[in-house]
Amino acid sequence: MPSFFRVIRFAFQDIVRNLGLSAMTVFILLLMLLSINMLWSMDVMTKEAVRLVKEQINISFYLAPAIADKSVLEIKSYLATFPEITQIDLLTREQVLQSFKTRHQFSAEVLGALSELGGNPFGPTLVVRTKEPGDYRKIIQAVSVPEYDPLIEGKSFEGHEEALDRIQTITNRIERVGLGLSLLFALISFMIIFNTIRVAIFTQRAEISIKRLVGANNWFIRGPYLLESFVFTIASVGLAMLVMYFATRYLDRYVSVVFPNGFSLTNYYSSHMLYLFGIQAIAVLLLTVFSSSLAMRRQLKV
Amino acid sequence: MIKLHGVSKFYSVAAPVLRDINLTIKPGEFVSVVGQSGAGKTTLVKLLIAEERPTKGQIAIGDWDITGIQSSIVPYLRRQIGVIFQDFKLLPQKTVAENVAFALEVAGERSGRINQVVPQVLNIVGLGNKMNRYPNQLSGGEQQRVVIARSLVHRPKVIIADEPTGNLDSINTGEIIEILKKINEFGTTILLVTHNREVVNQLRRRVVTLANGEIINDDAEGKYVL
Repeated sequence: MPSFFRVIRFAFQDIVRNLGLSAMTVFILLLMLLSINMLWSMDVMTKEAVRLVKEQINISFYLAPAIADKSVLEIKSYLATFPEITQIDLLTREQVLQSFKTRHQFSAEVLGALSELGGNPFGPTLVVRTKEPGDYRKIIQAVSVPEYDPLIEGKSFEGHEEALDRIQTITNRIERVGLGLSLLFALISFMIIFNTIRVAIFTQRAEISIKRLVGANNWFIRGPYLLESFVFTIASVGLAMLVMYFATRYLDRYVSVVFPNGFSLTNYYSSHMLYLFGIQAIAVLLLTVFSSSLAMRRQLKV
Repeated sequence: MIKLHGVSKFYSVAAPVLRDINLTIKPGEFVSVVGQSGAGKTTLVKLLIAEERPTKGQIAIGDWDITGIQSSIVPYLRRQIGVIFQDFKLLPQKTVAENVAFALEVAGERSGRINQVVPQVLNIVGLGNKMNRYPNQLSGGEQQRVVIARSLVHRPKVIIADEPTGNLDSINTGEIIEILKKINEFGTTILLVTHNREVVNQLRRRVVTLANGEIINDDAEGKYVL
Protein backbone atom coordinates (compact mmCIF):
# COMPACT_ATOMS: atom_id res chain seq x y z
CA MET A 1 0.00 0.00 0.00
CA PRO A 2 2.78 2.55 0.77
CA SER A 3 4.23 1.85 -2.67
CA PHE A 4 0.85 2.74 -4.22
CA PHE A 5 0.84 6.15 -2.52
CA ARG A 6 4.48 6.63 -3.50
CA VAL A 7 3.61 5.94 -7.12
CA ILE A 8 0.85 8.56 -6.92
CA ARG A 9 3.27 11.07 -5.38
CA PHE A 10 5.91 10.34 -8.04
CA ALA A 11 3.33 10.79 -10.80
CA PHE A 12 2.23 14.22 -9.59
CA GLN A 13 5.83 15.21 -8.90
CA ASP A 14 6.74 14.28 -12.47
CA ILE A 15 3.82 16.25 -13.88
CA VAL A 16 4.69 19.39 -11.93
CA ARG A 17 8.45 19.17 -12.39
CA ASN A 18 8.11 18.47 -16.12
CA LEU A 19 5.39 21.06 -16.52
CA GLY A 20 6.41 22.04 -20.07
CA LEU A 21 6.32 18.45 -21.31
CA SER A 22 3.06 17.75 -19.44
CA ALA A 23 1.41 20.87 -20.91
CA MET A 24 2.61 19.97 -24.41
CA THR A 25 1.24 16.43 -24.10
CA VAL A 26 -2.15 17.66 -22.86
CA PHE A 27 -2.24 20.31 -25.61
CA ILE A 28 -1.67 17.74 -28.37
CA LEU A 29 -4.28 15.39 -26.87
CA LEU A 30 -6.67 18.36 -26.71
CA LEU A 31 -6.06 19.26 -30.36
CA MET A 32 -6.78 15.70 -31.41
CA LEU A 33 -9.94 15.53 -29.31
CA LEU A 34 -11.15 18.83 -30.78
CA SER A 35 -10.51 17.54 -34.30
CA ILE A 36 -12.47 14.39 -33.52
CA ASN A 37 -15.32 16.40 -31.99
CA MET A 38 -15.37 18.72 -34.99
CA LEU A 39 -15.65 15.75 -37.31
CA TRP A 40 -18.27 14.23 -35.03
CA SER A 41 -20.29 17.47 -35.16
CA MET A 42 -20.06 17.51 -38.95
CA ASP A 43 -21.24 13.91 -39.02
CA VAL A 44 -24.13 14.66 -36.68
CA MET A 45 -25.21 17.65 -38.76
CA THR A 46 -24.92 15.67 -42.00
CA LYS A 47 -27.03 12.87 -40.54
CA GLU A 48 -29.57 15.41 -39.31
CA ALA A 49 -29.72 17.01 -42.75
CA VAL A 50 -30.15 13.61 -44.40
CA ARG A 51 -32.84 12.74 -41.87
CA LEU A 52 -34.65 15.97 -42.65
CA VAL A 53 -34.55 15.23 -46.37
CA LYS A 54 -35.81 11.70 -45.78
CA GLU A 55 -38.54 13.02 -43.53
CA GLN A 56 -39.84 15.16 -46.38
CA ILE A 57 -40.46 12.07 -48.48
CA ASN A 58 -43.71 10.09 -48.27
CA ILE A 59 -46.05 8.24 -50.57
CA SER A 60 -49.78 8.64 -50.69
CA PHE A 61 -52.28 5.95 -51.65
CA TYR A 62 -55.39 7.61 -53.06
CA LEU A 63 -58.27 5.29 -52.32
CA ALA A 64 -61.52 5.01 -54.31
CA PRO A 65 -64.32 7.41 -53.13
CA ALA A 66 -66.73 4.54 -52.70
CA ILE A 67 -64.38 2.40 -50.60
CA ALA A 68 -65.84 0.94 -47.44
CA ASP A 69 -64.34 1.95 -44.09
CA LYS A 70 -63.64 -1.71 -43.42
CA SER A 71 -61.49 -1.98 -46.56
CA VAL A 72 -59.60 1.20 -45.65
CA LEU A 73 -58.75 -0.21 -42.24
CA GLU A 74 -57.77 -3.51 -43.79
CA ILE A 75 -55.27 -1.84 -46.15
CA LYS A 76 -53.96 0.23 -43.27
CA SER A 77 -53.51 -2.86 -41.10
CA TYR A 78 -51.79 -4.66 -43.95
CA LEU A 79 -49.34 -1.78 -44.42
CA ALA A 80 -48.67 -1.66 -40.68
CA THR A 81 -47.22 -5.19 -40.86
CA PHE A 82 -44.17 -3.93 -42.79
CA PRO A 83 -41.26 -3.14 -40.44
CA GLU A 84 -39.88 -0.65 -42.98
CA ILE A 85 -42.86 1.65 -42.41
CA THR A 86 -42.43 4.19 -39.63
CA GLN A 87 -45.69 6.09 -39.92
CA ILE A 88 -49.14 5.70 -41.55
CA ASP A 89 -51.59 8.61 -41.54
CA LEU A 90 -55.16 8.15 -42.67
CA LEU A 91 -56.84 11.21 -44.14
CA THR A 92 -60.64 10.82 -44.25
CA ARG A 93 -62.63 11.94 -47.27
CA GLU A 94 -63.60 15.13 -45.44
CA GLN A 95 -60.01 15.92 -44.53
CA VAL A 96 -58.91 15.37 -48.13
CA LEU A 97 -61.67 17.68 -49.36
CA GLN A 98 -60.79 20.33 -46.80
CA SER A 99 -57.13 20.06 -47.71
CA PHE A 100 -57.95 20.43 -51.40
CA LYS A 101 -60.08 23.51 -50.71
CA THR A 102 -57.36 25.08 -48.58
CA ARG A 103 -54.77 24.40 -51.26
CA HIS A 104 -56.89 26.02 -53.96
CA GLN A 105 -58.57 28.71 -51.91
CA PHE A 106 -57.38 31.43 -54.28
CA SER A 107 -58.38 29.57 -57.42
CA ALA A 108 -62.04 30.33 -58.06
CA GLU A 109 -62.09 28.14 -61.21
CA VAL A 110 -60.98 25.03 -59.36
CA LEU A 111 -63.40 25.66 -56.49
CA GLY A 112 -66.20 26.31 -59.03
CA ALA A 113 -65.48 23.02 -60.81
CA LEU A 114 -65.52 21.22 -57.49
CA SER A 115 -68.93 22.60 -56.54
CA GLU A 116 -70.29 21.64 -60.00
CA LEU A 117 -69.36 18.04 -59.31
CA GLY A 118 -71.54 18.22 -56.21
CA GLY A 119 -70.71 16.32 -52.98
CA ASN A 120 -67.24 15.03 -52.15
CA PRO A 121 -65.47 13.45 -55.15
CA PHE A 122 -62.42 12.41 -53.10
CA GLY A 123 -61.71 9.13 -51.46
CA PRO A 124 -59.65 8.70 -48.28
CA THR A 125 -55.84 8.87 -48.55
CA LEU A 126 -53.18 6.83 -46.76
CA VAL A 127 -49.91 8.73 -46.27
CA VAL A 128 -47.00 6.39 -45.62
CA ARG A 129 -43.43 7.12 -44.45
CA THR A 130 -40.61 4.57 -44.43
CA LYS A 131 -37.20 4.38 -42.78
CA GLU A 132 -35.30 4.62 -46.07
CA PRO A 133 -36.39 6.06 -49.43
CA GLY A 134 -35.42 2.71 -50.99
CA ASP A 135 -38.19 1.00 -49.01
CA TYR A 136 -40.98 2.72 -50.97
CA ARG A 137 -40.57 0.50 -53.99
CA LYS A 138 -41.10 -2.58 -51.81
CA ILE A 139 -44.27 -1.09 -50.27
CA ILE A 140 -45.65 -0.15 -53.68
CA GLN A 141 -45.04 -3.67 -54.95
CA ALA A 142 -46.68 -5.12 -51.84
CA VAL A 143 -49.95 -3.29 -52.40
CA SER A 144 -49.93 -3.82 -56.19
CA VAL A 145 -52.06 -6.94 -55.92
CA PRO A 146 -55.26 -7.65 -57.84
CA GLU A 147 -57.51 -7.51 -54.76
CA TYR A 148 -56.41 -3.92 -53.99
CA ASP A 149 -56.43 -2.66 -57.61
CA PRO A 150 -60.08 -1.54 -57.58
CA LEU A 151 -59.64 0.06 -54.13
CA ILE A 152 -56.49 2.14 -54.83
CA GLU A 153 -57.01 4.80 -57.51
CA GLY A 154 -53.51 6.20 -57.56
CA LYS A 155 -50.15 6.46 -55.91
CA SER A 156 -48.02 9.59 -55.50
CA PHE A 157 -44.89 7.51 -56.04
CA GLU A 158 -45.43 7.41 -59.78
CA GLY A 159 -43.15 9.97 -61.47
CA HIS A 160 -41.04 10.44 -58.30
CA GLU A 161 -39.20 7.18 -58.59
CA GLU A 162 -36.09 8.70 -60.13
CA ALA A 163 -35.93 11.52 -57.58
CA LEU A 164 -36.26 9.05 -54.71
CA ASP A 165 -33.52 6.84 -56.15
CA ARG A 166 -31.24 9.82 -56.49
CA ILE A 167 -31.87 10.92 -52.89
CA GLN A 168 -31.13 7.39 -51.74
CA THR A 169 -27.85 7.34 -53.69
CA ILE A 170 -26.80 10.77 -52.35
CA THR A 171 -27.58 9.97 -48.72
CA ASN A 172 -25.77 6.62 -48.97
CA ARG A 173 -22.75 8.34 -50.45
CA ILE A 174 -22.73 11.05 -47.77
CA GLU A 175 -22.89 8.40 -45.04
CA ARG A 176 -20.05 6.43 -46.64
CA VAL A 177 -17.85 9.54 -47.00
CA GLY A 178 -18.59 10.43 -43.34
CA LEU A 179 -17.58 6.96 -42.19
CA GLY A 180 -14.41 7.05 -44.30
CA LEU A 181 -13.43 10.47 -42.94
CA SER A 182 -14.08 9.33 -39.37
CA LEU A 183 -11.88 6.26 -39.85
CA LEU A 184 -9.13 8.36 -41.41
CA PHE A 185 -9.24 10.87 -38.56
CA ALA A 186 -9.28 8.10 -35.99
CA LEU A 187 -6.14 6.63 -37.60
CA ILE A 188 -4.39 10.04 -37.69
CA SER A 189 -5.35 10.68 -34.05
CA PHE A 190 -4.07 7.24 -33.07
CA MET A 191 -0.72 7.88 -34.75
CA ILE A 192 -0.32 11.37 -33.25
CA ILE A 193 -1.28 10.36 -29.70
CA PHE A 194 0.87 7.24 -29.95
CA ASN A 195 3.93 9.25 -31.02
CA THR A 196 3.32 12.07 -28.52
CA ILE A 197 3.39 9.62 -25.64
CA ARG A 198 6.40 7.82 -27.10
CA VAL A 199 8.31 11.10 -27.35
CA ALA A 200 7.33 12.01 -23.77
CA ILE A 201 8.62 8.64 -22.52
CA PHE A 202 11.70 8.80 -24.75
CA THR A 203 12.80 12.12 -23.20
CA GLN A 204 12.76 10.35 -19.84
CA ARG A 205 14.57 7.20 -20.93
CA ALA A 206 17.68 8.07 -18.87
CA GLU A 207 15.55 8.44 -15.74
CA ILE A 208 13.83 5.12 -16.39
CA SER A 209 17.16 3.30 -16.71
CA ILE A 210 18.46 4.97 -13.52
CA LYS A 211 15.36 3.87 -11.59
CA ARG A 212 15.91 0.36 -12.88
CA LEU A 213 19.57 0.37 -11.84
CA VAL A 214 18.67 1.57 -8.33
CA GLY A 215 16.41 -1.44 -7.90
CA ALA A 216 12.95 -0.17 -8.83
CA ASN A 217 10.66 -2.89 -10.09
CA ASN A 218 8.51 -2.48 -13.20
CA TRP A 219 5.46 -1.38 -11.22
CA PHE A 220 7.44 1.40 -9.54
CA ILE A 221 8.63 2.67 -12.91
CA ARG A 222 5.49 2.09 -14.96
CA GLY A 223 3.03 3.15 -12.27
CA PRO A 224 3.72 6.90 -12.36
CA TYR A 225 3.60 6.96 -16.17
CA LEU A 226 0.29 5.10 -16.24
CA LEU A 227 -1.10 7.50 -13.67
CA GLU A 228 0.23 10.44 -15.65
CA SER A 229 -1.54 9.04 -18.71
CA PHE A 230 -4.74 9.00 -16.67
CA VAL A 231 -4.24 12.60 -15.52
CA PHE A 232 -3.41 13.76 -19.07
CA THR A 233 -6.54 12.02 -20.34
CA ILE A 234 -8.81 13.60 -17.73
CA ALA A 235 -7.24 17.03 -18.30
CA SER A 236 -7.49 16.87 -22.10
CA VAL A 237 -11.03 15.48 -22.14
CA GLY A 238 -12.12 18.08 -19.55
CA LEU A 239 -10.60 20.89 -21.59
CA ALA A 240 -12.15 19.49 -24.78
CA MET A 241 -15.58 19.49 -23.07
CA LEU A 242 -15.10 23.11 -22.03
CA VAL A 243 -13.99 24.24 -25.48
CA MET A 244 -16.80 22.29 -27.16
CA TYR A 245 -19.35 23.87 -24.82
CA PHE A 246 -18.41 27.39 -25.90
CA ALA A 247 -17.84 26.39 -29.53
CA THR A 248 -21.29 24.76 -29.90
CA ARG A 249 -22.97 27.72 -28.23
CA TYR A 250 -21.29 30.01 -30.71
CA LEU A 251 -22.03 27.78 -33.71
CA ASP A 252 -25.69 27.23 -32.79
CA ARG A 253 -26.73 30.64 -34.10
CA TYR A 254 -25.54 29.55 -37.58
CA VAL A 255 -26.79 25.98 -37.21
CA SER A 256 -30.31 27.22 -36.42
CA VAL A 257 -30.43 28.96 -39.80
CA VAL A 258 -29.69 25.71 -41.62
CA PHE A 259 -31.96 23.56 -39.46
CA PRO A 260 -35.35 25.20 -38.98
CA ASN A 261 -36.57 22.17 -37.00
CA GLY A 262 -34.76 23.47 -33.90
CA PHE A 263 -31.76 21.16 -34.05
CA SER A 264 -28.97 22.50 -31.84
CA LEU A 265 -25.41 21.26 -31.36
CA THR A 266 -25.43 22.42 -27.72
CA ASN A 267 -28.50 20.30 -27.03
CA TYR A 268 -26.97 17.36 -28.86
CA TYR A 269 -23.75 17.56 -26.85
CA SER A 270 -25.64 18.08 -23.58
CA SER A 271 -27.80 15.03 -24.10
CA HIS A 272 -24.90 12.83 -25.34
CA MET A 273 -22.20 14.25 -23.07
CA LEU A 274 -21.59 11.13 -20.99
CA TYR A 275 -21.58 8.84 -24.01
CA LEU A 276 -19.42 11.08 -26.22
CA PHE A 277 -16.78 12.15 -23.73
CA GLY A 278 -16.88 8.80 -21.94
CA ILE A 279 -15.97 7.01 -25.16
CA GLN A 280 -13.30 9.60 -25.94
CA ALA A 281 -11.82 9.35 -22.43
CA ILE A 282 -11.69 5.54 -22.60
CA ALA A 283 -10.18 5.61 -26.10
CA VAL A 284 -7.51 8.20 -25.17
CA LEU A 285 -6.74 6.39 -21.93
CA LEU A 286 -6.32 3.03 -23.64
CA LEU A 287 -4.22 4.64 -26.33
CA THR A 288 -1.94 6.50 -23.90
CA VAL A 289 -1.53 3.48 -21.66
CA PHE A 290 -0.81 1.26 -24.66
CA SER A 291 1.67 3.78 -26.13
CA SER A 292 3.48 4.37 -22.84
CA SER A 293 3.70 0.64 -22.10
CA LEU A 294 5.12 -0.02 -25.54
CA ALA A 295 7.55 2.90 -25.32
CA MET A 296 8.75 1.84 -21.88
CA ARG A 297 9.24 -1.81 -22.75
CA ARG A 298 12.62 -1.08 -24.32
CA GLN A 299 13.81 1.12 -21.47
CA LEU A 300 12.83 -1.47 -18.86
CA LYS A 301 15.25 -4.03 -20.28
CA VAL A 302 18.25 -2.30 -18.57
CA MET B 1 30.93 -12.66 -1.07
CA ILE B 2 31.39 -12.42 -4.85
CA LYS B 3 32.35 -15.47 -6.85
CA LEU B 4 32.89 -15.76 -10.59
CA HIS B 5 33.67 -19.22 -11.90
CA GLY B 6 34.78 -19.69 -15.50
CA VAL B 7 32.81 -16.64 -16.63
CA SER B 8 32.97 -15.64 -20.29
CA LYS B 9 30.98 -13.06 -22.19
CA PHE B 10 30.71 -13.04 -25.97
CA TYR B 11 28.82 -10.49 -28.02
CA SER B 12 30.15 -12.25 -31.09
CA VAL B 13 32.08 -15.50 -31.25
CA ALA B 14 35.07 -13.81 -32.85
CA ALA B 15 35.50 -11.18 -30.11
CA PRO B 16 35.03 -12.32 -26.50
CA VAL B 17 34.77 -9.42 -24.05
CA LEU B 18 35.53 -11.57 -20.98
CA ARG B 19 37.21 -14.97 -21.12
CA ASP B 20 37.25 -17.61 -18.39
CA ILE B 21 37.19 -15.24 -15.42
CA ASN B 22 37.73 -16.90 -12.03
CA LEU B 23 37.52 -14.42 -9.20
CA THR B 24 36.59 -14.69 -5.54
CA ILE B 25 36.13 -11.62 -3.39
CA LYS B 26 35.81 -12.20 0.36
CA PRO B 27 33.45 -10.23 2.62
CA GLY B 28 34.97 -6.93 3.74
CA GLU B 29 37.61 -6.84 1.00
CA PHE B 30 38.50 -3.69 -0.94
CA VAL B 31 39.37 -4.84 -4.45
CA SER B 32 40.42 -2.65 -7.34
CA VAL B 33 39.83 -3.95 -10.83
CA VAL B 34 42.12 -2.18 -13.26
CA GLY B 35 42.70 -2.37 -16.96
CA GLN B 36 42.84 -0.30 -20.08
CA SER B 37 39.78 0.74 -22.02
CA GLY B 38 38.20 -2.30 -23.63
CA ALA B 39 39.76 -4.70 -21.12
CA GLY B 40 36.29 -5.81 -19.97
CA LYS B 41 35.98 -3.88 -16.68
CA THR B 42 32.56 -2.37 -17.38
CA THR B 43 31.24 -5.67 -18.74
CA LEU B 44 32.30 -7.28 -15.46
CA VAL B 45 30.27 -4.64 -13.56
CA LYS B 46 27.29 -5.21 -15.87
CA LEU B 47 27.44 -8.94 -15.14
CA LEU B 48 27.54 -8.32 -11.40
CA ILE B 49 24.46 -6.05 -11.45
CA ALA B 50 22.69 -8.40 -13.90
CA GLU B 51 22.50 -5.82 -16.64
CA GLU B 52 24.07 -8.53 -18.81
CA ARG B 53 24.11 -12.33 -18.48
CA PRO B 54 27.29 -14.38 -18.87
CA THR B 55 27.66 -16.53 -21.97
CA LYS B 56 29.47 -19.18 -19.92
CA GLY B 57 30.31 -19.76 -16.27
CA GLN B 58 28.64 -18.96 -12.97
CA ILE B 59 28.29 -15.81 -10.88
CA ALA B 60 27.25 -15.75 -7.22
CA ILE B 61 26.80 -12.88 -4.82
CA GLY B 62 26.71 -14.22 -1.29
CA ASP B 63 24.72 -17.43 -1.53
CA TRP B 64 22.76 -16.14 -4.47
CA ASP B 65 23.54 -17.64 -7.88
CA ILE B 66 22.70 -14.81 -10.28
CA THR B 67 23.96 -16.52 -13.45
CA GLY B 68 20.56 -16.89 -15.06
CA ILE B 69 18.64 -14.48 -12.86
CA GLN B 70 15.13 -13.65 -14.13
CA SER B 71 14.39 -10.04 -15.11
CA SER B 72 11.65 -9.77 -12.51
CA ILE B 73 14.13 -10.72 -9.75
CA VAL B 74 16.85 -8.26 -10.85
CA PRO B 75 15.42 -5.31 -8.81
CA TYR B 76 15.78 -7.40 -5.63
CA LEU B 77 19.43 -8.11 -6.44
CA ARG B 78 20.11 -4.42 -7.06
CA ARG B 79 18.63 -3.53 -3.69
CA GLN B 80 21.27 -5.76 -2.10
CA ILE B 81 24.22 -4.05 -3.74
CA GLY B 82 25.18 -0.40 -4.03
CA VAL B 83 26.37 0.82 -7.39
CA ILE B 84 28.35 4.00 -8.09
CA PHE B 85 28.74 5.14 -11.68
CA GLN B 86 31.18 7.48 -13.37
CA ASP B 87 28.33 9.54 -14.85
CA PHE B 88 26.52 9.70 -11.47
CA LYS B 89 23.12 8.57 -12.79
CA LEU B 90 21.11 10.85 -10.52
CA LEU B 91 17.45 11.58 -11.21
CA PRO B 92 17.55 15.21 -12.41
CA GLN B 93 13.95 16.01 -11.40
CA LYS B 94 14.47 14.89 -7.81
CA THR B 95 16.28 16.71 -5.03
CA VAL B 96 19.38 15.31 -3.32
CA ALA B 97 17.27 13.91 -0.46
CA GLU B 98 14.68 12.47 -2.86
CA ASN B 99 17.40 10.77 -4.92
CA VAL B 100 18.77 9.07 -1.82
CA ALA B 101 15.30 8.28 -0.48
CA PHE B 102 14.31 6.72 -3.81
CA ALA B 103 16.60 3.72 -3.21
CA LEU B 104 14.70 3.03 0.02
CA GLU B 105 11.27 3.82 -1.38
CA VAL B 106 11.60 1.25 -4.17
CA ALA B 107 12.57 -1.32 -1.54
CA GLY B 108 9.32 -0.60 0.34
CA GLU B 109 10.96 0.99 3.39
CA ARG B 110 8.64 2.84 5.80
CA SER B 111 8.42 6.63 5.37
CA GLY B 112 9.33 7.26 9.01
CA ARG B 113 12.55 5.31 8.66
CA ILE B 114 13.37 7.00 5.35
CA ASN B 115 12.95 10.45 6.92
CA GLN B 116 15.30 9.38 9.68
CA VAL B 117 18.00 7.63 7.66
CA VAL B 118 18.37 9.92 4.63
CA PRO B 119 19.61 13.01 6.53
CA GLN B 120 22.01 10.80 8.50
CA VAL B 121 23.57 9.34 5.37
CA LEU B 122 23.77 12.75 3.69
CA ASN B 123 25.55 14.08 6.75
CA ILE B 124 28.08 11.24 6.50
CA VAL B 125 28.98 12.30 2.94
CA GLY B 126 28.99 15.98 3.94
CA LEU B 127 25.83 17.07 2.13
CA GLY B 128 23.48 17.54 5.08
CA ASN B 129 23.10 21.20 4.19
CA LYS B 130 22.29 20.58 0.51
CA MET B 131 19.45 18.08 0.84
CA ASN B 132 16.92 20.17 -1.06
CA ARG B 133 19.12 21.04 -4.00
CA TYR B 134 18.74 19.45 -7.41
CA PRO B 135 21.66 17.54 -8.98
CA ASN B 136 22.34 20.31 -11.51
CA GLN B 137 22.91 22.71 -8.61
CA LEU B 138 25.84 20.61 -7.31
CA SER B 139 29.47 20.21 -8.36
CA GLY B 140 30.72 16.92 -9.82
CA GLY B 141 32.26 15.88 -6.51
CA GLU B 142 29.05 16.66 -4.64
CA GLN B 143 26.99 14.72 -7.16
CA GLN B 144 29.25 11.71 -6.73
CA ARG B 145 28.82 11.98 -2.96
CA VAL B 146 25.04 11.90 -3.44
CA VAL B 147 25.50 8.72 -5.47
CA ILE B 148 27.59 7.23 -2.67
CA ALA B 149 24.88 8.19 -0.16
CA ARG B 150 22.27 6.55 -2.38
CA SER B 151 24.33 3.38 -2.74
CA LEU B 152 24.95 3.32 0.99
CA VAL B 153 21.52 4.13 2.34
CA HIS B 154 20.09 0.61 2.25
CA ARG B 155 23.21 -0.77 3.98
CA PRO B 156 24.41 -3.05 1.19
CA LYS B 157 26.98 -5.77 1.82
CA VAL B 158 28.72 -4.88 -1.46
CA ILE B 159 29.38 -1.60 -3.21
CA ILE B 160 30.45 -1.71 -6.84
CA ALA B 161 32.05 1.54 -7.97
CA ASP B 162 32.53 1.81 -11.73
CA GLU B 163 35.08 4.56 -12.41
CA PRO B 164 33.65 6.72 -9.61
CA THR B 165 36.40 9.32 -9.97
CA GLY B 166 36.50 9.38 -13.77
CA ASN B 167 34.77 12.77 -13.99
CA LEU B 168 36.39 14.37 -10.93
CA ASP B 169 39.45 16.51 -10.23
CA SER B 170 42.23 15.25 -7.94
CA ILE B 171 40.82 16.89 -4.78
CA ASN B 172 37.37 15.41 -5.24
CA THR B 173 38.91 12.09 -6.26
CA GLY B 174 40.79 11.96 -2.96
CA GLU B 175 37.62 12.76 -1.00
CA ILE B 176 35.58 10.07 -2.75
CA ILE B 177 38.26 7.43 -2.19
CA GLU B 178 38.47 8.41 1.49
CA ILE B 179 34.70 7.95 1.84
CA LEU B 180 34.92 4.53 0.16
CA LYS B 181 37.73 3.52 2.51
CA LYS B 182 35.64 4.54 5.52
CA ILE B 183 32.67 2.55 4.23
CA ASN B 184 34.99 -0.44 3.80
CA GLU B 185 36.25 -0.05 7.38
CA PHE B 186 32.67 -0.63 8.55
CA GLY B 187 32.74 -4.04 6.83
CA THR B 188 31.23 -3.34 3.42
CA THR B 189 32.90 -5.11 0.49
CA ILE B 190 34.09 -2.62 -2.12
CA LEU B 191 34.77 -3.44 -5.75
CA LEU B 192 36.42 -0.43 -7.33
CA VAL B 193 36.72 -0.45 -11.10
CA THR B 194 39.17 2.18 -12.25
CA HIS B 195 42.04 3.04 -14.54
CA ASN B 196 43.36 5.75 -12.21
CA ARG B 197 46.94 4.66 -11.47
CA GLU B 198 47.40 7.14 -8.59
CA VAL B 199 44.30 6.00 -6.76
CA VAL B 200 45.20 2.31 -7.02
CA ASN B 201 48.80 2.81 -5.95
CA GLN B 202 47.81 4.88 -2.92
CA LEU B 203 45.19 2.38 -1.76
CA ARG B 204 47.63 -0.51 -1.31
CA ARG B 205 44.85 -3.07 -1.39
CA ARG B 206 44.12 -6.06 -3.58
CA VAL B 207 44.39 -5.28 -7.31
CA VAL B 208 42.97 -7.44 -10.10
CA THR B 209 44.31 -6.55 -13.53
CA LEU B 210 42.30 -7.25 -16.67
CA ALA B 211 43.66 -7.26 -20.21
CA ASN B 212 41.83 -8.35 -23.33
CA GLY B 213 39.06 -9.87 -21.24
CA GLU B 214 41.33 -12.02 -19.07
CA ILE B 215 42.72 -11.67 -15.54
CA ILE B 216 46.46 -11.28 -16.00
CA ASN B 217 47.36 -10.33 -12.45
CA ASP B 218 45.81 -10.62 -8.97
CA ASP B 219 47.91 -9.16 -6.12
CA ALA B 220 46.81 -9.03 -2.47
CA GLU B 221 48.52 -5.68 -2.02
CA GLY B 222 49.16 -4.68 -5.57
CA LYS B 223 49.89 -1.74 -7.76
CA TYR B 224 48.75 -0.54 -11.13
CA VAL B 225 51.02 -2.62 -13.32
CA LEU B 226 49.92 -1.74 -16.86
